[in-house]
This record gives sequence, C-alpha cells and structure tokens, in this order.
Amino acid sequence: MPHTTLAQDHEELYDPLAARRYFAKFDRITGHLPRVAGMLESDRLLARHELRALAAYVATLGRTFRALSLKYLMTGRTAGPLPGRMAFDRHESGFPVFRELLFMANDAQNAAQHLPGLPSEQELKDQMIRQILGELSVPTRLQFSLSQRLYYEALGAGGLFWARNDPLFLWLGEDGGRRRWFLHWAVYDSQTNLPVIYLMELEDTGRTPLPRDSRRWPQVQAHLMSQSLAGLKLVTVATGFDKDFDDLHPKVLKRLHLGPMYSASFTLQSGPLGKVLAEAAAPEGEDWALAWTLEELEASDTVTERTGWFGSTERQVFALDPFGQHGPETGATRTRRMVILPKRPYQVLADRAPPGFAQVRKFVVGAGGQVVSYRQ
Amino acid sequence: MADFDAQIRKSQEQVAEAQSRISSITSRVEAARARISEGGPEIDIENATLQDVHEHTELMNANIAELIMGLDDVTAAFSRDFDEMRNKTGMERLVGFFARGKAESMRQERMRTASIDDKLQDLIGKSDVIVKLLQGQLDMLNDQKARVEGNLTSTLTEREDTVAGLESLRAEIQAMDPKIIELENRIAVEQDAAARTRLETELAELNTRHNAMVQDEQVRLAKSQTLERYIEKGKTWVDSLQNQAATQMVLINKLRTDTNQRVVLYDALSKSLKTAQQQDVAHRINEIGVQTDKEAQAAMAAIGTATNQRMAEMMEAHEDHMVFARKVLEQKARADERFARRFAAIVEKHDSNLYGQ
Repeated sequence: MPHTTLAQDHEELYDPLAARRYFAKFDRITGHLPRVAGMLESDRLLARHELRALAAYVATLGRTFRALSLKYLMTGRTAGPLPGRMAFDRHESGFPVFRELLFMANDAQNAAQHLPGLPSEQELKDQMIRQILGELSVPTRLQFSLSQRLYYEALGAGGLFWARNDPLFLWLGEDGGRRRWFLHWAVYDSQTNLPVIYLMELEDTGRTPLPRDSRRWPQVQAHLMSQSLAGLKLVTVATGFDKDFDDLHPKVLKRLHLGPMYSASFTLQSGPLGKVLAEAAAPEGEDWALAWTLEELEASDTVTERTGWFGSTERQVFALDPFGQHGPETGATRTRRMVILPKRPYQVLADRAPPGFAQVRKFVVGAGGQVVSYRQ
Repeated sequence: MADFDAQIRKSQEQVAEAQSRISSITSRVEAARARISEGGPEIDIENATLQDVHEHTELMNANIAELIMGLDDVTAAFSRDFDEMRNKTGMERLVGFFARGKAESMRQERMRTASIDDKLQDLIGKSDVIVKLLQGQLDMLNDQKARVEGNLTSTLTEREDTVAGLESLRAEIQAMDPKIIELENRIAVEQDAAARTRLETELAELNTRHNAMVQDEQVRLAKSQTLERYIEKGKTWVDSLQNQAATQMVLINKLRTDTNQRVVLYDALSKSLKTAQQQDVAHRINEIGVQTDKEAQAAMAAIGTATNQRMAEMMEAHEDHMVFARKVLEQKARADERFARRFAAIVEKHDSNLYGQ
C-alpha cells in the first residue's frame, strides 16, 4: 500500500451510542432541509421545478441515512466482523464515505435473495420475548437479525440516494422552435464524500425530442454521470457537454453541494466554524452546522462554429464571475455559500463575526421547524 | 468472469464439506459425552479424524486465499483502464498523424465519458461474496466452539465430583483394612467355637462390603479415566476450532482493508486523471498530468507489490500456524499416551496392593 493512505480521514464509529447519535443528528438535519430549500425558492435562488427536484433528492437522502442507521444499529454489540462499522469522513465532510453507498448498492442487489430467507418481523419479536422471558438474557443476535431484516426491507422499498442517480428530465416548454428541457441528476461525490446535486437547463434543436431519442438520451446520461466530479469546474463540464452534443445547448447549469457537516463531537475542522462550534458548547443535537454551496453558470452569448466541411453549430459562451470575488477563478457565474445551523451556534457566530462569513447566507433552524434567514 | 464464479462455487462446496466434517466431529464429541453419562461403551474420537478435518480446512483456506488473490484479475482490469486514460488509442494516433488538434479532441471526448464506477461496484460485489463465505464459516466455527466448550465445562465439574468420590471411597477402604486385620487376628486366637463363628460371620460381612467398595472404586476409576480422555480430546478440538476461527478473521480483515483501500485509491486515481486532463489552463494540464501519471504509476506499483507481499506473508504465517498446531496435536497425543501408560501403572500398583494381602 502507498505510504500516504488516502483513507486517513475516514473514521469508524465503534461505539453503539456514538453511531446512534450520529444517525439521529442526520435525521434531524435532513428534517430541516426541505424548509431551507423552500426559503431558497421564495428568495428566487431556485425555480419551482428546481426546488421540486431538490426536495426529492433531500427526501431520498433521508431514506438512505435511515437505511444505513438500520444496517449499523447493532454496531459494537454483536461479535464478529459483520456488518462492520460505519465509516465517515471526519474532515471537511462529516458524511459517510463513498464506499458505504457502494456497499449499500451491493446489498440492495442481494436484498431480494436475503429477504425470503430471514424470519419475519413478527417471528423475530416472538423469539425475542421467548428468549427474554425463558432464558433471562438479552437477545442480541435476534436484535441483529431484525435490524438486518429492516435494513433489507428499506432497501427493497427503494427511493434511496445512491452513489449515482441517473439524470431525469422535465419538459419546460418550447421557445422559437427549440424544446427546452430541465435535467437533474445527483451523485455522491467520492472525492469529497458529499452528496452533490446537478440541475441543468438546455435547449434542444434535434429532430426527435431528447428523452425519446434512443440514440442521444443514453449517451447524454452516460456523459453527464461520468462528468459529475466535484473536481471539475462547471464551465469545464458545460463546455465539454456543448462540444460533444452539437444539437443540445446547455443554458444554465447549477451545482449544489449539500455539505460539509460540521459537528464539535464528530468532525475535525480547522476553519473559523470549528472555533464557533467549540465555543458554543451547544447541547447534544444542537452542535452542528451544515454548509451548502450553490454554484451557478449561465450562458451569456452564443457563437457559431463550423463543424466539418459544411455543417455549423452553435456554441455557448458562458458568463464567468466578472470580478473574481472569491480569489481563484471558480469557473462559475456565481457562487453562493450558505450555512444552516441551530440558534446557539448562530449566536456565537454573530458575536464573533469571523472574517469571510459576511457574504455567507445563514439559515437558523429552531425547534418546531422554524427557519429564519440572516444575511449578516 | 466465469473463472471467478467457478472458483467461488468450488470454495462454497469446500466450505460446505468442511462444515459438515466439523459438525460431525462436534456431534461425535457430544455423543461421546452422552454415552459417558449413560455409562455405555466409550466412543473413540481418534486423532486421525481430527487430522483429516485439519487437512481439509487447510485446503479450503488455501483456496479462499487464492480467491482473494483472484481479485487481482479484477484489479488488473483497473490498471488497463488507467492506461487507456493515459495513452492514446491506435485510432487517435493515426488521426494525430494528420491533425494533432483533432486527435487531442477525440481523446478528450473519450476521457469525458470514461468511468470506473461499474468496475468499483463489481470489485465490491466480489469481495462481498468472499466475505460472506468466510463469515458463514466463522459463525459456524464460533457456534461449534461454544457448544463444545459448554459441554467441556459440565464434564470438568463431573470429573471433579468423580475424583472426589473416588478419593473418599479409597479413604474408606483404607480405614477398613485395620478392622479386617484386627478381626482376623481375633479369629486366630479365639478358642470358643460360638464366638469364633460370630467373628467369622462379621469378617465375612466386612469382606463382602470391602469387595463391593473395591468394585465401586474400579467403576469410578474407569469413569474418571474416560472423562479424562474425553476432556483431553475436547480441549484439542476447542483449540483447533479457535485456530480455524482466527484464520477466518485474518482473511476477512485482510479482504476488508484491501477493498476499502482499493476503492479509495482507484477512484482517486481515475478522477485525478480525468480532472487533470480536462481542466482549462493548457500549460497547467501538462504539468499536473505528468505528475499525476507518475504518482499513479508509483501508487499502482506499490499496491501490487505490497498486496502480493502481504499475501505471501499471510500464507507463510498460516503455514507456520498450521505446523505449530500440528506439533501441538502430536505433543498432546504423546502426552495422552504417556498419561494413559502412567495411569495404568498406578492402577496396577493400586490393585496389587489391595489384592496382595
């Protein structure tokens, strides 16, 4: 193995209580996300159809976390190496590592085989009661079997956020003989270990509508999935797409990174947010902050370029951040940063007012699901 | 990969056979225990059967280790992918001869659609199959171990009871000896016929009781011996189950760590290659590209050698372990034999003492 292990930041959850707390935290966080997304829509940062796509991904993400929490419910309480321990990236992510989702996909493939072999929930509970009353012992093994059964059931029920969620389309209308489509897809980025959602608006000058075109549509899907890397700038993705498909013209491309999640007790963070969380010393369940980054790229102009001897096609010119506000060139028209956090850490954040946070939009979530947005 | 599937099937068969052999030995151990409690004739658990099981599990483990190494075929496919990403295809080279820009754009288009996600999923699926196989075996071993251990514990207590009973019986027999001698002496000097008859009746009764006790001692001695033998065999079997479980754990851990590392590394390699190839500034591309290639190659070479080395070490360690286990078994067998021999001598001495009077 190489000297620098790339999995150095990957931390495993050994303690059953820690694992449960981790999943409870995510359950709470994903519960707040739909309302935060709603705020984005009312501020016109996202259109209605974009919001719907985003809400659907957030819901699937919640189900994925619930499935994983079932899988690792008995962490540290059963002997033997299976199902192992949940690994998460504790540095600049706070989310489970990419391979957990790959393992989950693999389990999902086998779920149909496993389920008929496992005893039903009722039978397991019955056996548990018998063991508790008859043998006066804790039925750990039965609890484990039940957790695995529920996990496989959750996988069988579907609607989960996978490592790759292939593009889906929505008809937006027709405009001067050009069909307008809205495509959205999502990946769990393996480099940053974060869920990333892509939203794209494009114009179609092809002969058959894109989703019914059996030649272009699979290619488009494969192309977009294999280009969905956090390391690529939006302009690289968009120009590459524009170049490879002559009759598709991407107009708007948005990318939303749902993370990282910072937590005083789970993750290691070096930035100002780490100090804020440490200073807030918030009670369990309120010591977190979730950062969102929304990158937007818009086409400002088109040029006509010759293809081959006779044909010519239209290529987009993308508007890049004119002032380069954020230091290095971002390859996007706009980059908006947002942070979602509970009241107490927010108070410390407002109090300390660390540099660099002035431009960050803050969403403060409170009990009962209320969300307040602050610009300062 | 038909090859991999065939090998998996072969290993599954071997695991199934090993499991049936192991459980047949455990049930034999249990049957022997039941027979002892009933007082029926002893069932022998020969060393040969144990040896046989060991040989078989060794074969099975070697096969699974081979399976783990067989994953290298899957990983070799990855390095082919990386090579393709780094190099130009024949067609591109041909086009590049006429139009350099066109060839470069062809290559970039190819890079844009390259993805190793399916292969990663495949790797994870295959390693998962092997882990499940090993896990099944491990669960079974632990189960058997628990059963035999529970059995042994109760046997040990029973043996303690038997030995304690034996000792108190011996003490009683010894306490009887002076009484018998005294009676015999009194009979020898007794003149009165009536008194003499009474004494002789008393002596006869005492003798009958003595004989009964001696017989009882024999029975208990035999039982204690049987239990002793049973315990020795049971212990050896528990040890061996323990060893096998340890081997399974080693294999599972190795596979786990390797897969985790591989997923991270391959993914990082492919993505850094893609990113470096495409990012906007041309002169930077070159630098990053060359650097990444070098690192990627070094990293790939490192994985290959390290994996092989570790595998070899593991196999060697395993061999040592098995040799050691066998040595222990042999020593145990010798000790058993010595014990039996010595014990026989003691019994004989004991008997001759009793009957020598």
